[in-house]
Amino acid sequence: MFRFTSALCLSLGLAVFAYGQTVDFDKQIRPLLQQHCHACHSGKTSKNGLRLDNKTHAMAGSTDGPVIVPGMSATSALLKRITSEDPATMMPPKGPRLSRSQVDLIRTWIDEGATWPQTEAERALARDPRLDHWAWQPLVSVPSTGIDSFIDAKLKASNIAPGPRADRHTLIRRLSFDLLGLPPSPEEVAAFEKDPDPNAFARLVDRFLASPRYGERQARQWLDIAHYADTHGFERDQKRENAWRYRDWLIRAFNSDMPYDRFLTDQLAGDFLRPNDPEAVTATGFLAAGPWDFVGQAETPSPVLKRLARADDLDDMITQVMAATCGVTINCARCHDHKLDPISQREYYALAAVFSGVRRGDRPIDVVGDQKRTALRQTLVAEREQLQVALGRLEGRGLNLADIVGGGNGLGSGKAGTGISAATGKPLANKQGYVAGVVANRFVRVGGLIDGVVVPGGGDVQIASSGILAKNIGKTSAGAWDAIRNGPVNDQKSTTITGVNYASSGRSLLGLHANAAITFDLQPMREVLKTKELVFRAAIGYGGRPADGSGKADVRVLLDGQPLVVRMGIGPASEVPPVELPIPMGVRYLTLMATEGADGTIGHDQVYFGDPRVAPAIVPGSSAADASERSRLANRLRDIEGKISKTDESPMVYGVRSSPPDKIHLLRRGNPEEPGAVVGPDAINCLKGAPVYGGQGAIADGERRAALARWIVHPDNPLTRRVIVNRLWHHHFGIGIVDTPSDFGAGGGKPSHPEMLDWLAGELPSQKWSLKSIHRLICISEAYQRASVVENPAAKAIDASNRLLWRQNPRRLDAESVRDAVLATSGQLDLTPFGPGFRDFVYTEAYAPIYRHVDDDSPGLRRRSIYRFVVRTTPQPFLTTLDCANPANLTPARNETTTALQSLALLNNPFMLRQARHFADRVKMESGDDAAFQARRAFIRALGRLPDQQESGPAADLIRSRGLPELCRMLFNTSEFSHVD
Amino acid sequence: MLIDRRHALGRGGCGIGSMALASLLGRELHLAADESANNPFVPRAPHHEPRARAVIEIFCPGGMSHVDTFDYKPELERSHGKPFDPELGKQTFAGTGGAYTKSFWPFRRHGQCGKAISDLFPNLARHVDEIGFIHSMRNKSALHGPAMFMMNTGFVPAGFPCMGSWITYGLGSESDNLPAFVVLPDARGLPPGGVVNWSAGFLPAVHQGTVVETATGKPPIADLFPASQVPGEAEGRTFLKHLNSRHASARPHDSRLTARIASYELAARLQMSAPDAVGLDGESKATKALFALDDEDIGPFGRQCLLARRLVERGVRFVQIFCGAENTTARKIRPNWDSHEDLVRDHGYWGRILDTGAAALLTDLKSRGLLDDTLVVCATEFGRQPFLQGGNKGRDHNPGAFTAWLAGGGIKGGTTYGSSDPFGFKAAENPAYSYDLHATALHLLGIDHEKLTYYHNGIRRRLTDVHGHVISEIVS
Repeated sequence: MFRFTSALCLSLGLAVFAYGQTVDFDKQIRPLLQQHCHACHSGKTSKNGLRLDNKTHAMAGSTDGPVIVPGMSATSALLKRITSEDPATMMPPKGPRLSRSQVDLIRTWIDEGATWPQTEAERALARDPRLDHWAWQPLVSVPSTGIDSFIDAKLKASNIAPGPRADRHTLIRRLSFDLLGLPPSPEEVAAFEKDPDPNAFARLVDRFLASPRYGERQARQWLDIAHYADTHGFERDQKRENAWRYRDWLIRAFNSDMPYDRFLTDQLAGDFLRPNDPEAVTATGFLAAGPWDFVGQAETPSPVLKRLARADDLDDMITQVMAATCGVTINCARCHDHKLDPISQREYYALAAVFSGVRRGDRPIDVVGDQKRTALRQTLVAEREQLQVALGRLEGRGLNLADIVGGGNGLGSGKAGTGISAATGKPLANKQGYVAGVVANRFVRVGGLIDGVVVPGGGDVQIASSGILAKNIGKTSAGAWDAIRNGPVNDQKSTTITGVNYASSGRSLLGLHANAAITFDLQPMREVLKTKELVFRAAIGYGGRPADGSGKADVRVLLDGQPLVVRMGIGPASEVPPVELPIPMGVRYLTLMATEGADGTIGHDQVYFGDPRVAPAIVPGSSAADASERSRLANRLRDIEGKISKTDESPMVYGVRSSPPDKIHLLRRGNPEEPGAVVGPDAINCLKGAPVYGGQGAIADGERRAALARWIVHPDNPLTRRVIVNRLWHHHFGIGIVDTPSDFGAGGGKPSHPEMLDWLAGELPSQKWSLKSIHRLICISEAYQRASVVENPAAKAIDASNRLLWRQNPRRLDAESVRDAVLATSGQLDLTPFGPGFRDFVYTEAYAPIYRHVDDDSPGLRRRSIYRFVVRTTPQPFLTTLDCANPANLTPARNETTTALQSLALLNNPFMLRQARHFADRVKMESGDDAAFQARRAFIRALGRLPDQQESGPAADLIRSRGLPELCRMLFNTSEFSHVD
Repeated sequence: MLIDRRHALGRGGCGIGSMALASLLGRELHLAADESANNPFVPRAPHHEPRARAVIEIFCPGGMSHVDTFDYKPELERSHGKPFDPELGKQTFAGTGGAYTKSFWPFRRHGQCGKAISDLFPNLARHVDEIGFIHSMRNKSALHGPAMFMMNTGFVPAGFPCMGSWITYGLGSESDNLPAFVVLPDARGLPPGGVVNWSAGFLPAVHQGTVVETATGKPPIADLFPASQVPGEAEGRTFLKHLNSRHASARPHDSRLTARIASYELAARLQMSAPDAVGLDGESKATKALFALDDEDIGPFGRQCLLARRLVERGVRFVQIFCGAENTTARKIRPNWDSHEDLVRDHGYWGRILDTGAAALLTDLKSRGLLDDTLVVCATEFGRQPFLQGGNKGRDHNPGAFTAWLAGGGIKGGTTYGSSDPFGFKAAENPAYSYDLHATALHLLGIDHEKLTYYHNGIRRRLTDVHGHVISEIVS
């Protein structure tokens, strides 16, 4: 309103002195600002983002927020600074200060409404010429007959004659690799070459677009942009067991030609917009696809490091979103305003605020299904419990302590592998390393069958909630590892005691790595077992296997604090007798304790108890009736267990875990330790005609993201459609209309055909946002179908880099296409779609997990490369040598290098050698024993054509002298195999 | 010297082929000759006269304690045993601080410059007059992986090119037969952060470090030879060249195809030169003894150092040696310098290894006249705290201060730059980051770190981000 009034006043040329105003801005205030402020706060020298040389900027304030609040001098930073006596904050920092009367003038001016009549010159000053950049302008609608009219017009203007159409052999190979990422079969080539229909190519385009292989190819390109991997990255590069569901979603989305606006919206906010739709929830795997720092975000106790890790996390997310969808390099505005584009640092943090409620993590995708499963499961579990109690009583087996540690009732309802932290008493499913922040000798109450846990530090250690002490425990380092587990602890090396493997089926194991103690409450156990006299039985083992045979731990079993079983200094070589300890009627607490022993380190001290049970001291007799009842109960129990295991599967995806948004501050110099003003969610504002971001007041995380998604796919956003059609163009011509597909800003490339770019972008909504339609438009164009091998010196002289597309660009296959083409050619390609990725590595659990890539011919490893389990920090060596994308980076376009290491990999990598042998077997089966026939067949399979006269002789000679596999190996190494004309 | 295009043309004999050849290991051929004017891969002339031709960097992962090694702190000796201010511990990795503790090894003065070095390094101490020390190094991360990335790439997140990649991108290769940038990992395994440490990031992959296997009996480079013997290698190669040459000559506009043919020729030469470079049979007994190759603990590192010298001799531009591997499971001795529990045990073990190997390297380079134009850098990702970690006998991470040192090509020996505070807790005088270390190394190679740039995702990226200055105090 305020703005409107002043604008109106100016436009009418009226005096701006409203009633009661006493200060004249032009005469009294402007000169003061010029004299004292402009040296640092005008034009390009806008220190701390503040300009006082025009109204627009002055009222927008500095990076810390507004400096002039009309009508409120007391809260205006400007006045505070010019009256401050503190050298750190006072303004101006140097030179003469404002006099008292000058300060009074400014105060009065602000209190009277800070009226600031703008001059023409000022308005020009306020205008940012960077706003004129082509990409920020609305789409220009140009009537056209299609792609070729744009391209031919430009060629004509440059006096270049377009080259001829490619032959059909070239066309089908080009199209097949472009759309499917695989070579055409020899039969497909032959059929297409013979097809008399003049529309044969358009039909081929449609057929390929309908192939399930199409989605696999397109998804690979989108995963490059999302820097997707199946592990976290960083130092503790743990696996993401459920990330693949997002990859599968992508493939399905491309294959079903999901409208691009919905494609983006679901990836940004599907969990919020359609929470009951598993597909929409799975789509949010996009936001979680990038790296995540376990140590910085979860493990370190330092709040400073945590803040930095979270800031990096958000930076990664918004950089990915804005680059992928809009081609905006928002990351450049993290520490200061964008140097090239009209994007402020404040806008960067506004986008951070949009995503500040997003946490990456595993989440269920099927809320409704899970509810049903949970309800069913509860009924079944209750039934199982009754059966287990009845059966347990009949069998007299008592309660299994390992099962209790796994969250169970001691009768089998616990979960294998889960445990309880000795430091916090909290349940822990995932494996841990060294426990940080341990407070020794602090007893933590758990409740139920477990009274509590403690990390013994030595001396007198409280071991029960009643205050009972275990006395004179030797001093420990207070270190702790992993958790007390129903099963082996993290990295446990041995689970076998005197020939019995307690990790095997039918056995149980309670892992108790030093230093840890756990106390069980015997009272509820007596109630369950309906008997007062109990006995504790267990085997005791040492699971560590240090290289030098050292390692020592002390183990104690205590009843009400009395150490009744003490095994000092047990190690890998110890043979510890099993425990059979009667528990008298009055005893309340049973404690198991492992401490590090005299060697003073917890290293390798993986103490464990085999089949640890508290059982009735006297087992009831066993009559024939009991026996039949037992078998009846056991059968029913098996039945129920089977049903429960089916309800166990709650499908998960590594995606968005929505939480209340963090409060986002503008961070000075991007430093999380220098927070400035609070910033609310918003989009960027430099796009002419673009809609206003609709989530400015949104409090909930999902609302903020949904509003950004709407802003991104809004018809008036000029970037989104330009960016996607350019990406498709890039993949069909090897270079985009804009050659920087993720940077449409001033630092990026200029469009070679701007009108065509806008025309294609305009086509997208008229084709119902169908990406397949855009592919079709591009592929059936003459430009796409031109030959790449053309001698045209005149054209070369004018446009050597072929930006005007007088010919098609020859291309080299990307790493994944090379691997897939080798498998397709050798006949070994497994086209099984979807599901968890294949793992071509050996995994070793460790503090920093170790992935060692191996070569292996097992069938599961012959699937398409898109289904590879991608380890972020340990790239697959063969594919990396062939320039596969590095998932630490956003990769809008693959780098292409030619190196000796590539030649060595293609010649000698065990994968290549093996496939050459498979290929030879296939050729032999298809063509018999004659070398000339074999050579012909091998050429057709590998290159889609017959050898010519100068090739067939040497090829047959090579077979005769060195064998068919050697010819196959060399064909894989030809340039023709890995390049497309 | 730096741009050996002419050189390659003169030697190879047949035009484009040998020119491509020279480019393949260290550089990238341009897509079309006409584009060379704005092609980022074309080798650049150095910005000024270089002082060093090659770099050997010894990286000690895990965090080498400065207060127990190179950075003498008399005030810490005086405060030995006093409790530390718990507020200081807020930013440390594990968060618990014990008492101030003096160096576990006494310091003594050495050389003409009188530099104080701890008794952990008796051999290196004899080289102090050749070394320039930086005592005010800092890191922006206290976590191994990210801190390693910062020291190697100038950035905490993964995905940026490392110094070796930037250098080969800027200068190309001097060797036609070996990769320009070679990495020699510790025999125990890869360092924290793994291969990301020698990644080319967004630079073309041709600039990434090539891992040369240092263990004996294994092929030095992955896929150098087929695992099972393929008969008649030459015949197949001749056939391949026949096909590829015809394919290329039908497509004269695509220079990638001729480069590809050359890359196969180069691969064949690599099969000859790489085993030769790593074969130590020709080294004298005295040299083998100098590098303690027969010592069970020191031997593997001694071998890395000796290999580094042999590679630099053969024209390799940048060799990175890792003295330590990743923390894996708890072992009796840590697999790197990360001495949280028992500093005497772990630094004692690794100190002897580094001391022997690095001193041998300096001695050997000098005796062969290679030290004058070979820059030797020794770095770690952060230092360790002046106080103990809780009740342990070790020290926690300290990104606030640590020491790096340089010697050889262009370094003024016996000098010291910057300091840490009297306890070694934080950098005090002239605080430095990886930016300054990198800027100095590039400077000695003839590169202005502000001018070596590469466009990526909206920014002309540099190794030194928007920071860095050349530490002229240690430059001769």
